[in-house]
Amino acid sequence: MNFWTDPIHVIYQGLMQTFTGWGMAAEVAGILINLLGIVLMITAIMVLDIFLVWIERKVVARFQDRLGPNRVGPWGIFQPFPDIIKLVLKEDITPAGADKWVFNLAPILSLASVIFLWAVVPLASRIYGVDLNVALLYLVASGSIGTLSIIMAGWSSNNKYALVGAYRMVANMVSYEIPLAASLLIPTILSGSMSLTNIVNQQAHGVWFFFVSPLGALLFLVAAIAELGRSPFDLNEGESEIVAGFHIEYTGMKFGLFYAGELLHAFTFGGFVAALFFGGWHGPWAEEYPLLGAFYFVAKAMLGYWIIMWIKYTVPRIRIDHMLAFNWKFLTPLAFALLIVTALTHRFLMDFPTWVYVPGMFLSNVLVAWATLEILRGNARRERLAAEAH
Amino acid sequence: MTTPAVETLDLAAKFAGVTADTRPGYAGWIVPAEALTQFASFVRDELGYDLLSSLTAVDYLEQNQFEVVYHAYKTAGGPGLVFKVQIPRQDPAKVASVTPIWPGAEYQEREAYDLYGIIFENHPDLRRILMWEGFEGYPMRKDWKEAFYEEEAKPLKSRWPEGRHTLAETRVPFGDNVSFKPGFDPEKWTPTDPEELLYATLRKYTSETKDGITTDHVLVNMGPQHPSTHGVFRAVAMLDGEIVVSLKPVMGYLHRNHEKIGERNTFLQNMPYTDRLDYFNSMYNNWGYSLAVEKLLGVAVPERAEYLRVIMGELSRIQNHLILFGMLWNDLGAYFTPALYAFEERELILDIFEAVSGTRMMCNYHRFGGVSRDVDAASLEKIKGLVFERLPRRVEEMNRLLSENEIFVSRMKGIGYLSPEDSIAYSVTGPNLRAAGIPYDIRRADPYGIYDRFEFDIPVRHNSDLLDRYLIRMDEIQQSLRILRQALQQLPEGPVLTGKPQYQVKVPAGEAYGRVEAPKGELGYYVVSNGKGNPYRYHIRTPSFINITSLEKMCVGGKIADFVTILGMVDIVLGELDR
Repeated sequence: MNFWTDPIHVIYQGLMQTFTGWGMAAEVAGILINLLGIVLMITAIMVLDIFLVWIERKVVARFQDRLGPNRVGPWGIFQPFPDIIKLVLKEDITPAGADKWVFNLAPILSLASVIFLWAVVPLASRIYGVDLNVALLYLVASGSIGTLSIIMAGWSSNNKYALVGAYRMVANMVSYEIPLAASLLIPTILSGSMSLTNIVNQQAHGVWFFFVSPLGALLFLVAAIAELGRSPFDLNEGESEIVAGFHIEYTGMKFGLFYAGELLHAFTFGGFVAALFFGGWHGPWAEEYPLLGAFYFVAKAMLGYWIIMWIKYTVPRIRIDHMLAFNWKFLTPLAFALLIVTALTHRFLMDFPTWVYVPGMFLSNVLVAWATLEILRGNARRERLAAEAH
Repeated sequence: MTTPAVETLDLAAKFAGVTADTRPGYAGWIVPAEALTQFASFVRDELGYDLLSSLTAVDYLEQNQFEVVYHAYKTAGGPGLVFKVQIPRQDPAKVASVTPIWPGAEYQEREAYDLYGIIFENHPDLRRILMWEGFEGYPMRKDWKEAFYEEEAKPLKSRWPEGRHTLAETRVPFGDNVSFKPGFDPEKWTPTDPEELLYATLRKYTSETKDGITTDHVLVNMGPQHPSTHGVFRAVAMLDGEIVVSLKPVMGYLHRNHEKIGERNTFLQNMPYTDRLDYFNSMYNNWGYSLAVEKLLGVAVPERAEYLRVIMGELSRIQNHLILFGMLWNDLGAYFTPALYAFEERELILDIFEAVSGTRMMCNYHRFGGVSRDVDAASLEKIKGLVFERLPRRVEEMNRLLSENEIFVSRMKGIGYLSPEDSIAYSVTGPNLRAAGIPYDIRRADPYGIYDRFEFDIPVRHNSDLLDRYLIRMDEIQQSLRILRQALQQLPEGPVLTGKPQYQVKVPAGEAYGRVEAPKGELGYYVVSNGKGNPYRYHIRTPSFINITSLEKMCVGGKIADFVTILGMVDIVLGELDR
């Protein structure tokens, strides 16, 4: 065992020896090292978050035929720092009519809910916070805390725009968590586990779940974007309608926390797409060298994040009734249909060799997609005929 | 391409009490005040003048009378009908409202009330519209004096007494330019009073119980600072959840009394001032004004100048529509991507404007009897490159990119419906009227300039929803390109200005109404001259102001998200809405 094959363990042992060498009890040292690990992890995430701001601005600029930030540092890479300094220096306003405690708690909770998520993310084969056996449940629960923070912000701001934004978030949460949970059940069925570590390990030793359930991956992505409240589902913010929605009254770093939380949330969900469907840290030599695995994971998460950005800056916002209709009349039935089909085909094919199992599962997905499109086409035709007859 | 035959009417014979306006330089008919309502219905129903283009007032101080001037047109095309009501200049000056006959007169009557203090009886909601509630006096009246600046004797000799500068507002006895009513104390004033007047016109707060749950309506002020009002415009909306129950626009935040300032300027000084109305289309604003003054002057415009006017006007139309698409997608929440694509093409057109006039947006290009500068060969090549090669390709690309987007269509189709009858009644003009299936375009209905020489279609769509209002603008860009291609091929050599350029023009007494089909709708200038160096009355009928009259009708029953798109598609510019 050396640093390159199991870095966390080596560091842990090293620190443990040092601390116990100082005469510290082993239990206390263990807690201390874990705390250190948490602080280190959060710091790493926050630094990453700072660069996500830069990445987002640069990528968007390229989508929009612009150059983007290019003044501070090479390619404007240090642009986020002036941004942060500006946010920190701004006046911190709490509106007179606001519910102070709730108002000030909301942004913290918003960012915290995202950071919670990283506890269960397996960064590499032997680098992860905890191997929680109900990681997917934990994911849904943490997501709800994020939603709660938005409702808190909207309600406590004492502002009508914020209130409308919060209303919309409630409608959003109630509807989109169902397809999200349903699509989370697909990797669960495929791997037989709710632990993210197990799910990724299964893919590393077998086939990426994307090839087994491409439709599931797509469903998860759509539901995740809705859960994130990113365009086209950014109704709770709805800049052109309700100005900034829930965070309209926030200034300075409190707004900054919401903003950082949003970007990090998007990146984290990119990471979940990677972990659930694209093998997580899996890649050449990732098993032997965990740091390489971590690199693969971040690269895949970036790809997912890039797709989410791409969608955000391409399509207009969907209207609330269309959004709910899309969820209840399309996404939820489809998610459940896919869940049932996946469960059945998985049970039938699980004893067959891989070269039968994978194409069989893939085919079942294609079949569900085809049937859905046929039903939609039939509906559209019927509607058109009715309109013409009218 | 024939000009509609001028209808000869003898209204004096047809309607008792009506006399022809015989003042030199004036035209139209004078209607007795008490017969106005019957006359207006007669004009609309019997004579077929279904579109009230403009309603305004003139204060003839010497004759001691107010004159309310109406310009009515037929949507079928042809020349218009001008009629006037003269009332004695006293308080209260009362005239019957024509809003029941032409609902499009609603805001125009409010404006006349606001600026002249003429009371329109039976008006549904006669409040100040551009000035604030509580403003003292009626600023467009000839005997109204602006505090401090128009006083006969200035209360202060210098703004720098003893060489020290102090804020003018602290020294002026009128405070910050307002004289208050007796017994009015600004310190004790709470801003509820005028607001209550406004909220009274909305549907009341209702607290009702549905399925055992008490629900309440929410009153939301969209604006004055709001990303989607394209400036400082405000709409007060009563919401039932997400649904708009009642909505009232509030405007005037950008009001600078353009018309009053226009009366102080000389005729030519107003030319650059018109640029500031609809700052996207200064070329077209110039055109309408020069058209009105040229009618008074009776000067002819040289051939080359006519062509240049058409070229610049149509380029202006293209960039206006492009920017509208971009802003519309912003309103829909597309985060500037289409807007920036549109800006790219617009910049190229603005480059041309800069090359010919010296400025990108405030062009100040037209002169009475021509245009200020000729276009050089290099710019002409640039225009040709744009019109023949780049723009058709890029517009097609935008069309492919935007028009069939699933979310876009679902947000646009069937939203903001306004029936053709209502469109005419509300005096809606421009692309929004044509999207309701009415082929009314002044370039064809009542041609000005040399539009009768070009071959082009008036695109019409029939659903009168947002999608059609969007698509018709796509069609119009194609037609504009068609006109541009012909104009560029036919562009003759020659002078661009009749006579010598001059700073001061001698305008004979009289009145004139010049109207053009601006990109946003009918843009009309009503100019009255009394032979002096500056206009006696300078009124602008702006499409933004009058098209917004139908906003409430389109929005009620829709979602709050739709309000933003509907407002975007009315295509308002606050510079010309508030004037």
